[in-house]
Amino acid sequence: MQTRPVLRSSTTAKVVDRLMLGLLWTLALGFIAVLLLFVGAILKQGWPVLNLGFLTRMPETLEAGGGIKPQLFNSIYLVVLSLGLSLPVGLGAGIYMSEYAGRGRALRFFRLCIETLAATPSIVLALFGMILFVQTMGWSFSIRSGALTLALLNIPVITRVTELSLLAVPRDLKEASYGLGATKLQTILKVSLPYAATGILTGLVLTAGRAFGESAILVFTAGTNVSAQFPDFRWTVPGETLSVHLWYVTSDGTLPDAREIAAGTAAVMILALLILNLLVRFLDRAIRRRTR
Amino acid sequence: MLNPKTPETKPVKLSVKDMHFSYGEKKVLDGLSLDIHAERVTAIIGPSGCGKSTFLKCFNRIHEVASEVKVGGDMQIDGIDIYRGGIDVVDLRRRIGMVFQKPNPFPKSIYENVAYGPRLFGVKDRAALDELVEDALRKAALWDEVKDRLKESATGMSGGQQQRLCIARALAVSPEVLLMDEPCSALDPIATAKIEELIIELKEHLTIVIVTHNMQQAARVSDYTALFWLGRLVEMDLTERIFTTPRERMTEDYITGRFG
Amino acid sequence: MRQFDTELKELREGIMTMAGIAEDMIDLTIQAHSERSASKAEQVMQQDRLLDEWELRLDQVCIDLLALRAPAATDLRRIASSLKIVPELERIGDHCCNIARRATYVHPPILSSGSLERLGQETRAMVRQSVDAFVGNDAGLARMVIQADDSVDELYGSIYRELLRLMMSDPLCIERASHLILVIKNWERIADQATNIAEEVLFILEGRSAKHTYLQGDAAE
Repeated sequence: MQTRPVLRSSTTAKVVDRLMLGLLWTLALGFIAVLLLFVGAILKQGWPVLNLGFLTRMPETLEAGGGIKPQLFNSIYLVVLSLGLSLPVGLGAGIYMSEYAGRGRALRFFRLCIETLAATPSIVLALFGMILFVQTMGWSFSIRSGALTLALLNIPVITRVTELSLLAVPRDLKEASYGLGATKLQTILKVSLPYAATGILTGLVLTAGRAFGESAILVFTAGTNVSAQFPDFRWTVPGETLSVHLWYVTSDGTLPDAREIAAGTAAVMILALLILNLLVRFLDRAIRRRTR
Repeated sequence: MLNPKTPETKPVKLSVKDMHFSYGEKKVLDGLSLDIHAERVTAIIGPSGCGKSTFLKCFNRIHEVASEVKVGGDMQIDGIDIYRGGIDVVDLRRRIGMVFQKPNPFPKSIYENVAYGPRLFGVKDRAALDELVEDALRKAALWDEVKDRLKESATGMSGGQQQRLCIARALAVSPEVLLMDEPCSALDPIATAKIEELIIELKEHLTIVIVTHNMQQAARVSDYTALFWLGRLVEMDLTERIFTTPRERMTEDYITGRFG
Repeated sequence: MRQFDTELKELREGIMTMAGIAEDMIDLTIQAHSERSASKAEQVMQQDRLLDEWELRLDQVCIDLLALRAPAATDLRRIASSLKIVPELERIGDHCCNIARRATYVHPPILSSGSLERLGQETRAMVRQSVDAFVGNDAGLARMVIQADDSVDELYGSIYRELLRLMMSDPLCIERASHLILVIKNWERIADQATNIAEEVLFILEGRSAKHTYLQGDAAE
């Protein structure tokens, strides 16, 4: 007669389970520690430089004590402009892909294009922007060349995020809308987009953060100079941003206090990104509370 | 409830003749013919996957939204072919409302949920909207429970309230037919009883077609019952007859739980 | 077999047991009369207690089945009819008691030609057939029972008239004759009960009430 096996939970399984948990915790803590050290180091170096004057003075070219006022302005201005350019295109493309394109070949080809664009190294985009906008169009190093090239960087991300957020809208909500006699457009505008808003918003902020920190593209399209006027909203003038400034003063600069300026700039960028992320959290929660 | 002694006095509202339906290669409904009378409740029962829900969705053509489908045969509302070229699908869906299996209120306020339909059809005037919303909520027996919190999110309500809100939302565009796809399957018995009461009140002015897995529910609320099996109609008759003296052996087996 | 089917089977077997007891009682009643046996009459009374117990038990079974199983179609009809058949069987027992009780009062015999025995036998046959129709789901047999009731009624009428005649012609018969009138009335009632059972069997099998056909204008469709 066959004896029934005794079912006993294995002790090794439990031990392995414990070990894995410990390992994951260690990794997570280690990563957080590195992150804190990194941010801490940047903030610590930048802290002595950080003051209102640093943010509100014009930069110097040869002497110490310059500020970053125009760079800060340009950073924000370029992010806003590039998002303004890429948002309608990205949203439109995302809506088209999730709602209208069907499931055929065309969609697969379109998605391949978007993904390729998303994976293109920014230096390639930078050179493309320089050839097309700076040279061929003759717009030289300017805000518009920078904003347009930056938009190329943003569009695939916004498109993808929009598409995924819309695909995540529950089918029964859409059916409810159609069932009441809504057209496709009405359903997208009144049900799908509001539902997808938080997802799209999150994607938008990630894009903004990425654009804010982008340097390669802007070195080649927006230039390393700033306008002498402030604030200068013209889009034909060069517009050096914070990250470009950071690169420029450390690699090419003639400033005696290049180190301090760079440290301060880096700290400002980190803080700005932090504020941006907190703002999004807050907005996201507000929208969620209102719509879900 | 209608009984076998009194002749049917209501006209045929929805008429289906030799209807076929397939998703791509897969045949879902095969040669269905039946009539649905106005201001009556018609229950459709049958095992899972027999095509009940699909059948329901053919009336307001909502299945077209999601996928490639083929509908053959004849489906009519008031004698007009639902699938005729040139029919206004938007108007069709207004006339034929739908309530789904899972309560699916929009993530908006209670008021906005009910006002959604009227707004689609261009009602902008605040007072008119208020009146429509109140009227629909009253008809769905929900007004007294929510009149003080119309601005609150609909997703904070109980499941039963959400489902009645969905009914109110459907009623707000004054449909002539209400399709209900297992409207109580996610609700507790008390919420279910309320919905059933509501169904019986609503049939005063509406033609109701309800798909249900709960045979007792079909017995309680409906005037007619149709049994579907594998995309075909097995038997349709007065509910009273189906549940006491069905003609078909298969119906007998199904309602006495000896199926398969 | 499903639990529900098992319970239905128990109900059916319970009714068959009751029917068996009722048939035994009828046999004993007939014997009590033909043999003028007080002890057989006494046995009838004892059997009746058994029948009463079964009635209580099966009533509960039916109520439980209705409450817990929400039966439909054939199941519903079978249980609803069982609720009516059970009291019919119990009433047959009561009538047997009424007849048996008079076994010793009605002698010496005043009726001629064994007509009383014939009434008993015909009634017994009807009960037997109605139970067989129930057990065998036999609509034809049930219809035969319903028709047979007419002949029992006829027989009852003729005996009744004979007893009236006897009472008028010979006052010494009056006491025995009036007991006999009650006896034949009870036999006639038992035949009615058998008819009712047969009608329930038809309802179970055909889903249409076989009663009071004159009220059911569309029953002919």
